[in-house]
Amino acid sequence: MKKTIIAVSLVTLLAACGGSGKKDDGKFSYAAQDMIVNLTDDVIVAGYSNLAMKGSELFQLTETLQATPNADNWKKVQDAWKAARQPWEQGESHIFGPIEALEIDPHLDSWPLNTVDLKAQLDGNASFDAETIKNWENGVQGFHAMEYLLFGDGVDDNEKAFSESTAREREYLKALAEVLRDYTSDLEKAWKDKFKDTNGETPYAERLKNVSSSPTYSSQVGVIEELVQGMAGIAKEVGEAKIAEPFGGSIDNVDTSKVESQYSWNSLIDFANNIKGVKNVWEGEFSGSKDKPGIVDFVKAGDSALADKVTKQINDSIANIEKIAGDNNMPFRQAIKDADGRKRVQTAVDSLAALKASLENEVVPLIKKWDAK
Amino acid sequence: MDVHKNKINISIALAVAMGLAACGGSGSGSGSGSKDDGNGKSYPSYTDVELLGGDTTTTEASNSGHGFSTPAPNLTEAEVKHHEEGDANFETSFITAPSNEHPELDGLGPVFNNINCNACHQRDGRNSTILIPDGEKRVLLGSGAGIFLRISKKPDEVCTKGTKENNYCAPIPVPNFGGQLFHRGILQARPDWEQNNFKGQADVYLSYEYLEVTYDDGTKVKLKKPLFEVENAYDSPANFAASELGQPDVLMGWRNGMPVFGLGLLEAIPESAILDNVDVNDKNNDGISGKANYVFDPVKAMAGDDNPVSLGRFGWKANTPSVRVQSLGALRGDIGITNPLFPDESVKGTDLHEKYLSRTGLLDTGKGPNGEPEVDDKFSDSLVFYSETLAVPARRNVKDPDVREGARLFEQVNCTGCHTPKFVTKADGQIGGKDMSKALKSQTIYPFTDMLLHDMGEDLADGRPDFLADGNEWRTRPLWGIGLTKAVNPRAGFLHDGRAATIEEAILWHGGEAEKSKQDFMSLSKKERQQLVKFVNSL
Repeated sequence: MKKTIIAVSLVTLLAACGGSGKKDDGKFSYAAQDMIVNLTDDVIVAGYSNLAMKGSELFQLTETLQATPNADNWKKVQDAWKAARQPWEQGESHIFGPIEALEIDPHLDSWPLNTVDLKAQLDGNASFDAETIKNWENGVQGFHAMEYLLFGDGVDDNEKAFSESTAREREYLKALAEVLRDYTSDLEKAWKDKFKDTNGETPYAERLKNVSSSPTYSSQVGVIEELVQGMAGIAKEVGEAKIAEPFGGSIDNVDTSKVESQYSWNSLIDFANNIKGVKNVWEGEFSGSKDKPGIVDFVKAGDSALADKVTKQINDSIANIEKIAGDNNMPFRQAIKDADGRKRVQTAVDSLAALKASLENEVVPLIKKWDAK
Repeated sequence: MDVHKNKINISIALAVAMGLAACGGSGSGSGSGSKDDGNGKSYPSYTDVELLGGDTTTTEASNSGHGFSTPAPNLTEAEVKHHEEGDANFETSFITAPSNEHPELDGLGPVFNNINCNACHQRDGRNSTILIPDGEKRVLLGSGAGIFLRISKKPDEVCTKGTKENNYCAPIPVPNFGGQLFHRGILQARPDWEQNNFKGQADVYLSYEYLEVTYDDGTKVKLKKPLFEVENAYDSPANFAASELGQPDVLMGWRNGMPVFGLGLLEAIPESAILDNVDVNDKNNDGISGKANYVFDPVKAMAGDDNPVSLGRFGWKANTPSVRVQSLGALRGDIGITNPLFPDESVKGTDLHEKYLSRTGLLDTGKGPNGEPEVDDKFSDSLVFYSETLAVPARRNVKDPDVREGARLFEQVNCTGCHTPKFVTKADGQIGGKDMSKALKSQTIYPFTDMLLHDMGEDLADGRPDFLADGNEWRTRPLWGIGLTKAVNPRAGFLHDGRAATIEEAILWHGGEAEKSKQDFMSLSKKERQQLVKFVNSL
């Protein structure tokens, strides 16, 4: 009997150290190492590997298009662009580290497009290759420059035909795809293999997983804060900038020039993927995959009701963004000019505001209650 | 029976104690901020301070890369909205004029260093250090560079007092270039643009030379110093010596982007409090002078002030008086976007600009159809307010015994001779010619800077005077938030040209007035040096 008491005491204490649970002082415990390792390797790095693969496929298809220029290969490049966009947008829930330090984000996702120089460049005869383009103005390269070449100006439709493209455009498209392929490969390698910075060459993933020797984070609190603030940041950006700015205060103040991915009409898929990226970090796995530890488990240890609430808010936000298209697959740039569409947009904006508020006002403060060891 | 019971209790107590030890609880650390911890050592009063920015301090983003990017928590709701508008402006990329789709965003350049503020102040911090790829010796500065060169002509004599006649001791611009070398351009910026797409005034290459420092205990530290080579100047592409830029009296110096949080607080430090630390002739014989820079103030000039000169506070040589002048000057200079305070392109009147305008048909004069600048007051004001009101991150690991010991050593080697820990901001008044936010008033802050110029020795010198600052002098960098630098941008470097990869390297570059402190630092044991660095990284 007495031995049992000792055993129970030890179990309780060990649980306090490594398991999860609440304490009398309002603090809660949670063993975060497995979660951090999982989020780093199986969410962030896995997402970047997928992006690098999609970037490589996109480049290969532009090569095929140049070798065999026809409508079928044109369509394949258009589809490959959309496919590469998916992991890119999901990755926006964790924009930190190499994607910023290596200037990859501004090179690949610069907005607005510098159409003046892009058109002048295409109208001229100057030669170019991927390495040269990397040092050019950001507004003539990246996803949106490719999008403009592939889908047209997006005003009346998003169906630029192969016959509307020129050989020089396709040559430029291939060079841009090569730039994209290189940067997405660099991004994957920086996290997985080697991140060369002023302190050494430790892969960036290790800096999250091993904070005791990390030149970047002084504690696991920093890693969790990075992830949660990143989730709140993209929820805010989608709700208050990507959707709200073109949406305007009224139907008379709509500004379609501010719509992201306006040439391809891929906007709603982009926005939904942003919040699916939040969901990946929250859940700890990609949708439909085996359950693994994510931020939800951390929050659950401190406040299970809050965890349930945020889970619902994430799902509501994704669903409400997707519902903006209505029954007739209306693109975002049309929906903001349509009375019923605007109601659906407002519902999505409200969902995102609620999600952002919960993350900023409840989840972020909860980190301070974590009894981090 | 009782004995046996006691044994059991001892076992439980031991198990509990072991369990707590395994959890890492120490029970130590007074956190009282007392001067003496009872160990015979005296700790400076700032040892246990956590909220470095007073009420403007953020504690919710102070452990991660978001630490420089949150609004001060004591802003009003309306101020937060104003701040967020500025946040969007800070990240706004500009494009070539004339844009039909985005006329409000055109006017980039025509020559420039970057296309938005964030590109040089990544996540509101420092820019990435340029590394030399394996197998190469130098790197051409392009779209990934957050560093640039300031340029000027060597003055005939040392300027000690600014007057209207001597242009207030301002740097003398290089004819047909200006005061800043723009290594990038829009597509057709250069007369020879067809051979030099997207090139600026000249090509700038960066390389490094390396040296090694050895402590008495045998520990070695490798240091690097960035060098520049300039070629392909637009006025004489093939023969640099014939370029205005290639003349022997042209001075050049690297400039890195700096963090932009807490700036409103620095501007709100009473001028008298800064001047209290001036000691130009070193009357107290501590080897440290402390000199105020006095600089041209466009805000005063625009208001019609007969003597438009103010105390310099910002920039690597304290060459600008306010956040307003610093940020709107950078908007016009670094990006090429004219604004109400700087309504003319910085390259106006140069051959490059004149030829660009005549060749392209007045595409980017810097003025709109009615003579207005490229961005308006609303855009400019919120951009300035943003940089004035970014929160200061709270300290980390304050109770760590090594950090506390580091604070004592920081004081012992007299880092505080220049890195003045504490100020109280003014209770009222204006900053940058506008009423200051209540959030910035009467705050007790710990920026760890005296805001003054110091001779930092030949190794750091760029030999380029800037108003009253001479070629060896630099303004003391604030240390608050410095420990988050690598979380904000893992490739960031320290000092004006990013040469120092670590705090330790930055210390080892100190010379001149800081030579004694550096020597005292080097005389510490390895453990003590680590403790001091750990304290700095807790800031």
